[in-house]
Amino acid sequence: MSRPPVATINTVAGRLVGRSQSIISRKSVRDSLVSLAGLIGRPVLDMNGKEIGRLVDLVVRHGQETYPPVSGLVIKIANRKSFINGARISRLSPDSIVLSSAIINLEEFVRRPGESLLDGDVLDHQIVDVDGLRVVRTSDLYLAPFNKEIRVVGVDISFMSFLRRLFPGSLARRPTPEHVLDWASVASLTDSTGVVRTSGTRAALSQLRPADLADLIEDLAGREQSALIELLDPDLAADALEEMKGEELEGVLRGLSSEVAANLLMRMEPDESAEALRDLDDEHRESILAIMEKNTASQLRQLVSFDEELAGGIMTTHLLVVHEGDSVATALQLLVDNRERDNPDGVVVVDENGVLLDHIQTVELIAAEKSSLVAELIAKPFPTAVTIDTKIDDVVEEFSNNRGSSIIVIDGESKPIGRILADDLVDALSLKSQRGPQSNGVRS
Amino acid sequence: MTTLQLPGRKKIRIAAFLAVMGPGIIAGLSDDDPAGITTYSQLGAQFGYRLLWTLVISTLALIIFQDLGARIGVVTRQGLIGLVRQKYGARAGSFSALALIFANLGTMTAEFAGVAAAGQLFGISRYITVPITGFFISFLVLRGTFKKAERVFFVLSAVFISYVIAGFMSHPDWGQAFHGMFVPSMPFNKSAINIATACLGTTLAPWGLAFIQSYAVDKRLTKADLRLLRADVWIGSLLTGVIGFFVVVTCAATLNQEHIFTITDASQAAVALKPLAGTLAKDLFAIGIIGAALLAASILPLSTAYSVSDLTGSPAALDDSFTEAPLFYITFATITVLAGGLIMIPGISLITILISSQVLNAILLLPLLAYMYGIARDKKLMGEFAAGKIALSIYGAIITLVAICVLAQFWFMLKP
Repeated sequence: MSRPPVATINTVAGRLVGRSQSIISRKSVRDSLVSLAGLIGRPVLDMNGKEIGRLVDLVVRHGQETYPPVSGLVIKIANRKSFINGARISRLSPDSIVLSSAIINLEEFVRRPGESLLDGDVLDHQIVDVDGLRVVRTSDLYLAPFNKEIRVVGVDISFMSFLRRLFPGSLARRPTPEHVLDWASVASLTDSTGVVRTSGTRAALSQLRPADLADLIEDLAGREQSALIELLDPDLAADALEEMKGEELEGVLRGLSSEVAANLLMRMEPDESAEALRDLDDEHRESILAIMEKNTASQLRQLVSFDEELAGGIMTTHLLVVHEGDSVATALQLLVDNRERDNPDGVVVVDENGVLLDHIQTVELIAAEKSSLVAELIAKPFPTAVTIDTKIDDVVEEFSNNRGSSIIVIDGESKPIGRILADDLVDALSLKSQRGPQSNGVRS
Repeated sequence: MTTLQLPGRKKIRIAAFLAVMGPGIIAGLSDDDPAGITTYSQLGAQFGYRLLWTLVISTLALIIFQDLGARIGVVTRQGLIGLVRQKYGARAGSFSALALIFANLGTMTAEFAGVAAAGQLFGISRYITVPITGFFISFLVLRGTFKKAERVFFVLSAVFISYVIAGFMSHPDWGQAFHGMFVPSMPFNKSAINIATACLGTTLAPWGLAFIQSYAVDKRLTKADLRLLRADVWIGSLLTGVIGFFVVVTCAATLNQEHIFTITDASQAAVALKPLAGTLAKDLFAIGIIGAALLAASILPLSTAYSVSDLTGSPAALDDSFTEAPLFYITFATITVLAGGLIMIPGISLITILISSQVLNAILLLPLLAYMYGIARDKKLMGEFAAGKIALSIYGAIITLVAICVLAQFWFMLKP
């Protein structure tokens, strides 16, 4: 059987939405419950008891109200679907709907934003049980007159109620509200615009821990997944996304619009959002970064290109690059011009394609003929170079093998793009050893 | 600084493939279960190389629908039965689940029958082999971690090589085999229709379709994994066909040549091989049956348990504990114990169970494929992955083919 719902679920939901007790436990509501699953396919009658057609679906309107009112009926008359305004319902019983007049204006049914179809969108669909912290399937929905309108008051998620629907005749229509969640404590996620907003669910969702939310998000897919994220407070959603694995997060971001994704990524820790952005394809990443505030975007762009565990993440991008065809004088001038910046112990020489040829020490340049070309100084020992994605541990090994004071970082085409100095490495390693023991997945 | 193309990417891809690889191959290969081997043996024994083309078509259908199942699972994050309930209602969902349970129970019994028959070839009683098998698979699937179980499954699937070796040892007429693969011809009679339908039903087994989808959901595979998963599914499905081919060819070259036209259980093919292709061929064939049975018997209760918890909407994952997903484990146990128990009843006719389960498979296939067709074209569910016109017409053609087979089957059944 399905997991027993939490006994106190309604009181928890009640507390969360700031009401003393859930509506479904009121006797007047409980006695007038009507099963939606049982009602589908039943006759819709006019005030004289004459059958107009059969019920296909009920439309509810979502607003600020905790219990959404039925705003219309979709009925089938001689194989044509028509819409009747919900205000015309005079009486709702488990096996029929009676309208308040004999004159019926049949309209073409057009779905409007903020409305959803109870049978088409919610029944048998996955919903989020906010208190039970899980994704469940709707076995039935209960309707009851409340506050002058007919409203959805409860969601039945029990397997028994599902089995009940398989029975023939009136047995299938009898409400069995043993395990009913208050509508306020679920997040139903499908309608034409994607999101069913009830103030109650939003409040309830905001009580969750980010890690639990992340699990819920991972359990959903596609429209439902995006809908849940959009339903959340952006800061909370950003926290939840930080808890997710790379692949999962990539999938989530793919499902969101660039605007929503940008908004969330800006609220995440920069290194986390850089990591997420790194997994996206170039076009998608650019479309998101383009929407972001400029400073954040450029900071993220920078971070995206590096990985903190790799050579690219710890290198300095400050390099003095000369062309092999340049003269020694040019190279020396470059050194002099940059004497204020870190420690220019030499220049990097590249060929016409920008490919790394050698690293020449300042001393060598000084000793050489001023008018000669840098190319003439290229000789062994050649500098040690690592690619940008080399692991820090491997960089350390290169260092200890070569006993040099720096290593040049190259890209996939052997073009120099940065340098790792011994002290950069020391910084990186000490940072790593500090963080190492605590960084077992959980972030504070 | 613009983004850099990281040269290390390729290595990561291969590692990722190894991580995702498995479900497709396991689901595919477990279609070559004792019921499948019996069907393929019968196909070869009775009709020689002539009906090999039905195996080719079945394999293509398997590739196409396993691929679709994987896609649906990854995109919707829901199992097949749950989606049927959502899209087609409570009755359709329950009907599908119930039909799957019955067909799976039948097929599971056939797996145990395979183990029992093959065990007897080595002189071991089924009262020993069947309980041991039951405990072995339960332990493997439920007690170990699934990663470990998967490794064992891979080792098990290695036994399928034995069919390939047995195939070569039987010295088949390759020219005739290739002719049979690509030039369709078929006598229009009851037994030919029967075996063609069974071939389609056993290859494109419903539980395999349900399994691949549930597995993708359970493992939370994402769209990023989809390409690798699909590669896995294609390889697995293709291997299924290749192994089926060797079984048919073996039987065509030996049994059919010697005018032994009927096979009644999986082990009989092995026995008949002995005088024709030697003791080693017989043993290889028998070992192949045991391995195939173990593999399929591990997946079947799992697939059923997935489907049932999918119907109820209660969460189910292999890493859940019993209290978290009781229905999942109860279904698993019920299927295993019931199927094992049936085999232990003295004097029970195994062949009746085996055949009826495969017929049920073929019949059940129709509504399930139709539901999958409906889900595949549903933009609301599948989004950008919804099937286009060409894909839909291919799905439609396969469904029509299955329908023709099932109808012809009924026609011959009603005809005196």
